[in-house]
Amino acid sequence: MTAMMSITDLYVKFGTPFGSLEAVRGVSLDIPAGSSVGVVGESGSGKTVMCRAAMGLLSGSNVERSGTVTFDGKALTSMSREQVRDEFGTGMAMIFQDPMTALNPVRRIGTQISESLRVRLGMDKKAATARSVELLSFVRIPDPAAMLKKFPYQLSGGMRQRVMIAIAISCNPKLLFADEPTTALDVTVQAQILQLLSDLRRDLKMSMVLITHDLGVVANHTDYVAVMYAGEVVEQAPTSELFANMKMPYTQALLDSIPNIEMKSGARLKVIEGRLPNPVDRPKGCGFVTRCTYAQQKCHDDHPPLVDAGNGHLYRCWYPLGHTIARKQ
Amino acid sequence: MRKRKYTIPTYFAFGWLGLAVFLAIFGSFLPVDGYQVIHGDFIDSPPFTAGHWFGVDSNGYDIFSGIINGARLSIFIAVVTVGLGGAIGSLLGITAAYYRGKYDSVVNMSFNVVLSVPNLVLALALVAVLATNVDINEAVPTWRRLVTLIISLTVVIIPILGRIARAATLAWSGREFVVAARSMGMRDRDIIKRHIVPNVLPALIAVGFLAVGVVIIAEASLSLLGVGIPDGASWGGMLARGRNDLEYNPHALYIPIIALAFTVISTNHVGDVLRGRLDRREGRL
Repeated sequence: MTAMMSITDLYVKFGTPFGSLEAVRGVSLDIPAGSSVGVVGESGSGKTVMCRAAMGLLSGSNVERSGTVTFDGKALTSMSREQVRDEFGTGMAMIFQDPMTALNPVRRIGTQISESLRVRLGMDKKAATARSVELLSFVRIPDPAAMLKKFPYQLSGGMRQRVMIAIAISCNPKLLFADEPTTALDVTVQAQILQLLSDLRRDLKMSMVLITHDLGVVANHTDYVAVMYAGEVVEQAPTSELFANMKMPYTQALLDSIPNIEMKSGARLKVIEGRLPNPVDRPKGCGFVTRCTYAQQKCHDDHPPLVDAGNGHLYRCWYPLGHTIARKQ
Repeated sequence: MRKRKYTIPTYFAFGWLGLAVFLAIFGSFLPVDGYQVIHGDFIDSPPFTAGHWFGVDSNGYDIFSGIINGARLSIFIAVVTVGLGGAIGSLLGITAAYYRGKYDSVVNMSFNVVLSVPNLVLALALVAVLATNVDINEAVPTWRRLVTLIISLTVVIIPILGRIARAATLAWSGREFVVAARSMGMRDRDIIKRHIVPNVLPALIAVGFLAVGVVIIAEASLSLLGVGIPDGASWGGMLARGRNDLEYNPHALYIPIIALAFTVISTNHVGDVLRGRLDRREGRL
């Protein structure tokens, strides 16, 4: 299968008063055409920055990006700002985490949807309005024509997120980044939005990158998974392979921290103790070492390389799950 | 959306401003004497004299016709100045805050430099320099004094509104919907036009009304200092002519002062009301 987007050795550094902050460290990731890739990790692991950097949305004088990103056969990293902009909307689009802030509070839903249709696809007002109604019905909003006249503050969170999705798919993108699209929503709405995204992806033949911190979401809605920790991909595999044959203690810990219906009532939720390493001053060994129950001296001293376990399964650990020493612990 | 009720001061403020603007536009068509008609028999008449409701000053000028005709110049200068200053200031402020970098530093620093000089002193200095002939015996034509006055006051207004525009843009351009618009391939120009400006406008309008008050006062002050429109029928000019007669003919001074005060209070109040009405925040559910 050909890759819709392939990211090679992506680094992102932010200049801060405390020193250079490496938010993304050498991420390589392929997004096969027509598939859905999950990017998982806790807050601050670099998921959002990685995707925004891949798309070319990071701006500011203190941002430094290196590595190559090719999209649909074109090298995004060597294109000018204007050329990359031409890919936005029609080539790739993004759904944002918080639908409360990603819509302009003073403009009507209708103008916000038809804006990109008119600017990017050159539609006239009438055609753009008709298409907006169609898009809103795609995302299953009842009475779409009435919705056009409303302001964002009149909508619930779930409705706003649907509007965001309608805007993102308005120009038929080939690749859709969904940056924690359900984090700001309550659980019942989450399930609906994720189902909607999966259906739209199939119907519109899009590729999708789903950023989340919920491995349960990944299991149901993705074909491939990349687990990120402290700016690095620490495990990467087809979804079924990952769950069948988990290698990273970190991935296991993430999975264990999901509440389980079979848990005894009153039992405590498992948490991953400790915090992410300081991104300005990284330890020389494995980033997870202080929090890992299987940590050995080698983990403190040497940074683990990415190991290929076959079946497209890559991991970054000296003593993966199933390793003899790890099992002794 | 629920309509909020206006209070009596609001009706008064809108009414007064409406009247002032009406007088500014149509004042010359009203059956009122020109302001420079001298009523020799009525010099220093108090208010409520038959035919001269507001009295007559020591030059024999009718104060009522002075107020009617004075509205034109005061309002015209204020509106043109704030319009011009607001346009230039917000263009500079919004682009500076949106693009940041060196351009922003330069713009912000020039705003600060201009703001560091007291408004009136700056306007006074500009008028004094620009509206003077090399040959001091040659009179400066009125149109040139008017243009100079407008330019000087505009220079004063630009950083006031420009800073507001810059601050508001800084807050709004960091918001997620700007990134969302960029992620759909919108040009910077379109993002500023469609996303930044509609959000910045309420603050600008509110402060713009305040600035109208500032300009009216500044123009009156310049007239009082003798660098306004010479013999011009502005409210400030009336103050300048009446100030020497304060002891025996105070109405020549306090009637234009009341007109000025009402106008400035009204502009401030209308600015406040409009800001409340135009502000469509996310939180108001």
